[in-house]
Amino acid sequence: MPKLIKRLADGQFVAEADPFTAVSDEAELPPGDVIISLTRFQAEGDRLLSEGRAVGVRIEPAEQVEALAYDLPRLALVAVAFPTYRDGRAYTSATLLRERLGFTGEVRAVGDVLREQAGFMVRCGIDAFEPNDGSDPDQWAHAVGRHRHVYQRAADGRVTAFQERGEG
Amino acid sequence: MYLYDAIDKDILADRTQEFREQVARRLAGEITEDQFKPIRLMNGLYLQLHAYMLRVAIPYGSMDSRQLRMLAQIGRKYDKAYGHFTTRTNLQFHWISLKDTPDILADLASVDMHAIQTSGNCIRNVTADPYAGATAEEIDDPRVWSEAIRQWSSLHPEFSFLPRKFKIAITAAPKDRTAAKVHDIGLVVRRARDGTLGFEVMVGGGLGASPYIGQTIKEFLPASRLFSYLDAILRVYNRLGRRDNRTKARIKILVSSLGAEEFGRQVEAEWEQVGPAGDLPDTELARIRGAFAAHPFETLPTQSEAFERAKAADAAFARFARNNLKPHKKPGYTIVEISLKAIGETPGDMTSDQMDVVADLGARYGSDDIRATHEQNLVLPHVKLDDAHAVYQALAAAGLATPNINLISDIIACPGLDYCALANARAIPVAQDIARRFADQDRAELIGELKIKISGCINACGHHHVGHIGILGVDKKGEEFYQLTLGGSGAEDASVGKVLGPALSADRVAGAIDALVDVYLRERQGEERFLDTYRRTGVTPFKEAVYAEAH
Amino acid sequence: MKALTGNRLDDGEVVFWAAGGWVLQFQDAELFSDPDLAAAAEGEAKGQTKVVVDPYLIDLIESGEHWAPLSYRERLRALGPTNHLGHGKQVEGGAVLEAIAAASGAARSTGRVNLIKRK
Repeated sequence: MPKLIKRLADGQFVAEADPFTAVSDEAELPPGDVIISLTRFQAEGDRLLSEGRAVGVRIEPAEQVEALAYDLPRLALVAVAFPTYRDGRAYTSATLLRERLGFTGEVRAVGDVLREQAGFMVRCGIDAFEPNDGSDPDQWAHAVGRHRHVYQRAADGRVTAFQERGEG
Repeated sequence: MYLYDAIDKDILADRTQEFREQVARRLAGEITEDQFKPIRLMNGLYLQLHAYMLRVAIPYGSMDSRQLRMLAQIGRKYDKAYGHFTTRTNLQFHWISLKDTPDILADLASVDMHAIQTSGNCIRNVTADPYAGATAEEIDDPRVWSEAIRQWSSLHPEFSFLPRKFKIAITAAPKDRTAAKVHDIGLVVRRARDGTLGFEVMVGGGLGASPYIGQTIKEFLPASRLFSYLDAILRVYNRLGRRDNRTKARIKILVSSLGAEEFGRQVEAEWEQVGPAGDLPDTELARIRGAFAAHPFETLPTQSEAFERAKAADAAFARFARNNLKPHKKPGYTIVEISLKAIGETPGDMTSDQMDVVADLGARYGSDDIRATHEQNLVLPHVKLDDAHAVYQALAAAGLATPNINLISDIIACPGLDYCALANARAIPVAQDIARRFADQDRAELIGELKIKISGCINACGHHHVGHIGILGVDKKGEEFYQLTLGGSGAEDASVGKVLGPALSADRVAGAIDALVDVYLRERQGEERFLDTYRRTGVTPFKEAVYAEAH
Repeated sequence: MKALTGNRLDDGEVVFWAAGGWVLQFQDAELFSDPDLAAAAEGEAKGQTKVVVDPYLIDLIESGEHWAPLSYRERLRALGPTNHLGHGKQVEGGAVLEAIAAASGAARSTGRVNLIKRK
């Protein structure tokens, strides 16, 4: 069961090795690329980036993703957390990262990440997933491919039903 | 009526197939119940006391005869040949199997129906005025906006896991037949002085355990900006709504704790960021509007001789006309309300055979246009006065002609403990008792407009908070007791009812209603309804009558 | 005295535990006077996640010569809705169901209280 599934630019889902280590606030930082909390990033982020590491920041549901606005160009990755799959705040965080803050790095879903929500996640601009249900890339591709049309605009910029009908 | 095009049909088909696969995985044990529950709820499937319950969406209460016939058929094929209309204008089937549900959804999809988002922490069915397109009073047809919102909200990727459920209602006439003021978002269609169409936007209304009247955060939102503004409201709610306590998770709590002004300010700030990019193109709005273009009405005289003669000859029809027919904007036409509150029957229930009768009437006499109301009745909005008697006779033969619209026996009741896993007490027997006690139609007309609403638990699906008389079933050490409230209203004069006194045992409720009615008949002045008299006299005479000496 | 109940996963039917399996009628249910045996059965039932949803124990009260569920809610589940006497298990008839319908002294059943708290 892959720890990390990525959605490539062409829409394919693949399992990938994860170059990042997620590090808690209290733990010592290992060498290499790390994902740290917003708090830790605000304290140590500059230093870590100057060491040449790729740095990712983990955003909790109650945290405002706008706090990263100025740092995004230097970040490799933002991890949006789902403490339970029912907590939908990460969908907004991901949407804002893409639509409002123009983030082009990896947006990764972490936590209680289930393939049943794959479609929603991709539409909100999430392109990497740490599945919590033992699912594999084929299952994610299938889940995402289930809907031939969408009604509303979202962060993925997918053509909407009204656009298909030839209206704006 | 909005007719589904190939894209709309594909969306339903894909959703049906998706759920079919999810059910198969659940039955095979590949998903846990905890993981499956929100999925089945977002497809309208509850697990209730006796079986699964499927809540079919009737978007903004509107359906045609083909769809009503399919509901009848589904009832026969998969359930016990009946259905129950709800206070959000949906239809519930109470004896459903999980394993049948994918086939049921496929049958529904074949007539452009579905159960998408009729439950779950997502945006629910938008409700609108059941007289839309038929009443002279409306500023604009609310169905246009309801259908646009339905599409925008269906499988919305950002807003499908909200802190809690989200209900939107749209009213477009001075008389509010949607209870918009007690919805998470209530939209009131308005026209600015320069003629621009727009909405007054109210947020934070709601019933449930803690009722709130919605507060206006925008006096006039230009109609072309509706969707960017809705995005802003939903986004603020999604981010800030409480997720730590289910009883405090609705937007009404957020609006109340921030204050309407601050909440409105945050929405405004977010709205500015969303900008016009979030709005629906005019062309799409025009396309949807075109679907609701008025079908050609005939030019008829205001008076129908056939109608007048029938009333003169048939006293029962005259009574039906008096109570159940409402004014139509076109001369020679009428709005027919169909009561699903036959005396002694279950409020809101309809057999499959009865559904077929109304479907046929809709097709033959009603321009194939049938509506469900939030008071659990049906409406044929376009019937010629010339045909009213024929419609009445067909309804009467099917037990659907009870002449009690808006009268005391036109009771709203949730299914209650007879069916619902959430309930504390039964609601249906209480409704039946009261209806039987006031079965005398002359007396009912003498009493006039009196809205009794009964909920079997604090979730308030029976809307008891906004009943002129509200009845809430409570569990007192395992016995069924009922708390009465007075003075609620779900209309444009919305108010929350006040508790009358200690809860009564089941056998005392109908007698208490009698006592309240007697006080009203004694005290009323002029044309006062029960609600008006209560608002003038206050609770004292009513409380004394119910709680004075033991009966 | 207790019994163990739940809803069948595939069709939502009310079912009662009887010796490792599930029966449709309360009159065939296994009754537990020993709380340890009841708890053990509940544990086993909870493991049957492809068969039944959310099994829980219910309290019983004597009604004439028979046992009946203590709470209204469980009586309704065992019988069926009171507005349609032709629907639900009550159609089966018989002495046990009649005893449930005639039972008095309803009170809250702890099994349901625990179920709500757990959620």
